[in-house]
Amino acid sequence: MTAGITTSELLRLFDTSLTDAPRLVSLFGRKQDDHKYLHYILDLPDVGYREFAYLVEGVVPSATRVSPAAAWHERELHEEFGVEFTDHPGLLPLRRHSPERRETPQPNEVRSPRLRHGEFLQVQGTGVCEVPVGPVHAGIIEPGHFRFSVIGDSVLHLQLRLFYTHKGTEKLFEGSLANEALPIAESVSGDNCFAHAIAYCMALEKVFGVHVPQRTDAVRLIGLELERLWSHVVDFGALCGDVGFSVPAAYCARIKEDLLQASTRFSGTRYWRAIAVPGGVTFDPTPSAVQDLSRAVGDAAADFAVLARMALETPSVQDRFETAGILSPKVAKDFAVVGPAARASGIKKDVRIDHPYGGYGNFQLDVPCYECGDVMARARVRVDEAMSSARLIVEQLASFPAGEVRPPVSMSGSGEGFAAVEAPRGELLYWLKVNEGRIARCHVRSPSFQNWQALPFAVAGNIIADFPLINKSFNLSYSGCDR
Amino acid sequence: MISDIARRSFGVPSRLIPVEELSGSSAGSRMPEIRPERLTVEIAERVAAVCPTTALKLESHGDRLNLMLDYGECIGCGRCIAVGEGAVMAANRLQCCGGSREQLICSWDVRTGTEQVRAGSPERIRAEIFSWVGRALNIRQLDSGSCNGCEAEIVALTNPYYDLERFGIHFVASPKHADMLLVTGPVTRNMAEAVKKTYEATPHPKLVVAVGACGCGGGIFAASPEVVGGVSSVLPVDGYIPGCPPTPAMLVSGILEVMRRLTGTRRR
Ligand code: SF4
Ligand code: SF4
Repeated sequence: MTAGITTSELLRLFDTSLTDAPRLVSLFGRKQDDHKYLHYILDLPDVGYREFAYLVEGVVPSATRVSPAAAWHERELHEEFGVEFTDHPGLLPLRRHSPERRETPQPNEVRSPRLRHGEFLQVQGTGVCEVPVGPVHAGIIEPGHFRFSVIGDSVLHLQLRLFYTHKGTEKLFEGSLANEALPIAESVSGDNCFAHAIAYCMALEKVFGVHVPQRTDAVRLIGLELERLWSHVVDFGALCGDVGFSVPAAYCARIKEDLLQASTRFSGTRYWRAIAVPGGVTFDPTPSAVQDLSRAVGDAAADFAVLARMALETPSVQDRFETAGILSPKVAKDFAVVGPAARASGIKKDVRIDHPYGGYGNFQLDVPCYECGDVMARARVRVDEAMSSARLIVEQLASFPAGEVRPPVSMSGSGEGFAAVEAPRGELLYWLKVNEGRIARCHVRSPSFQNWQALPFAVAGNIIADFPLINKSFNLSYSGCDR
Repeated sequence: MISDIARRSFGVPSRLIPVEELSGSSAGSRMPEIRPERLTVEIAERVAAVCPTTALKLESHGDRLNLMLDYGECIGCGRCIAVGEGAVMAANRLQCCGGSREQLICSWDVRTGTEQVRAGSPERIRAEIFSWVGRALNIRQLDSGSCNGCEAEIVALTNPYYDLERFGIHFVASPKHADMLLVTGPVTRNMAEAVKKTYEATPHPKLVVAVGACGCGGGIFAASPEVVGGVSSVLPVDGYIPGCPPTPAMLVSGILEVMRRLTGTRRR
């Protein structure tokens, strides 16, 4: 597993200024018998995911200068494991908001050339003012703090302070029996709970070499695509709502509810909690349930197609969506942005195509890709993906493989492994180390953790009134990022 | 284009679920229900052993053996149903939403079996609701660190199926406009101060409702050092809605039950 190359050689490898540079998927730490280890997971072009692990000895060269996506990962490593990095632009804690908040030991020294722990960057000059927003927001949404520096209406700079919902989730996994920890995985980001559960199960299946039956893969694929379908539908509705167009917003909410109710008839749960188990799923759909779901998904897709077309052809919607919140392909690449946000900025990456898993190998999949990187592009990606998910579900339901769905699996023993799925927000990765059937370390790299870093770059230069719209067009999970 | 969309909605029957159907319903929530007549000591021991939280537990009092079910801790994982041999079933109705913390805890004598039912008669519900809320209740939703599963279901309350606004209940943007704080999630250490400040910003009289297993007692996050605990560890709580997440019907029932119990006798 440990690569034959040094950390510095590795860093040279994934310099984002190179064409065809590997993409930084994750960077995390692990403690074992007083030793600290660093794990880099890269996505190498034409090769796939590769993991590089290093024993930490002394100061480690920072990857942030060559791959800005590493910035938050390294800050977390410094905060949680006390790893020192040379040449990092500011190793301030992410999870602790002020130095005095905690009785737990502080990392050695908190350094940044510009800021002290708990401070915001002050933009100076005539007419610049600061607008603090949050952590408690006006809608039914999660908490986070945004500090805008504006001049007139225009945003010069946005600094995020997240991790208000930090619950020490990765640590909670440690020590639990592998299959007992599933509810924790399902509660990392509740609206995408099935993707989290499947990523966790797939990582465990890798660790123990568990074979998953075809019928199980089919049920999982349906769950994953349903989750994507209703997420995209409701996100699209919310975007319309944010520009004051409440009719499509109400329609989309209705379509999502139709799908949730159909999913209750199919699986017994609205959000597919408690369905995934390592090696299987907990229910076996009947032929009539299959038919019912197929009809419901067909209806939802037909309604959504008409609705989305009408909304996107409405001039006042176009006016607000187009050119708002542009995420340039360069920034998207630098921050290794994933999911619909990446595909709206010219990065045609999708785990289902690039690293097929489960039943995805059996289907033809269209992955949309737009170049503009604005709110409109992200809206269009969602619409296209929702339609392709609906098609996939109907196709899978029509060719449902026979067989069992939950063969007995044994999960004693030790090992490590990781797995990634394409969650509605993008690539989601679980890395696990299991000792005698118990989780020794679980690292969750949610798509939101990756994408939040890029958001301020899409906001700068826009008017502050467009922030809710731009933020919604990324629709990032706070809890998924904060864990 | 707008007129095209509007035209599509003509002739479409209303999707609104009548309050009689919503009230007390917990279908799809995966909350368990005990059939005491089928309960045996063996089954009781087995279900208590598989429960990943401490929602189900056995207590012996002398020669009596009680099976306790705390809905406030239940995360709806379904394991007890899988091994319950018909003595534990998925609950389609749940009467405790919006009750006090104690009302979420049920107990059965494993050998004889007794069940608590507190169902109101459905015909009265609609008339009563308007008299309780006086057609105006403003709710401020507050996320104190949830996984966002509870938020997703609270957002559903405004869709055309549940439409909370029909009862005169609105979600407002500021705590200063609110009568009730609907608080989700375990209170994280990073949010504790903001939660208290939000409460202080809410004018008297005010109600606090804790939502979800996390809000009721910290849920699966209760053991984490990054979490302070359930909502009641930082705020006085007037009603609890269990579930992980609670279904929209449970949320509606819970909010209305809190109103029924506490309007007219508003404290603080
Ligand atoms: S469904 Fe609730 S009571 Fe039953 S085992 Fe799961 S957590 Fe325990
Ligand atoms: S109760 Fe369940 S759905 Fe609600 S915040 Fe907690 S884990 Fe998430």
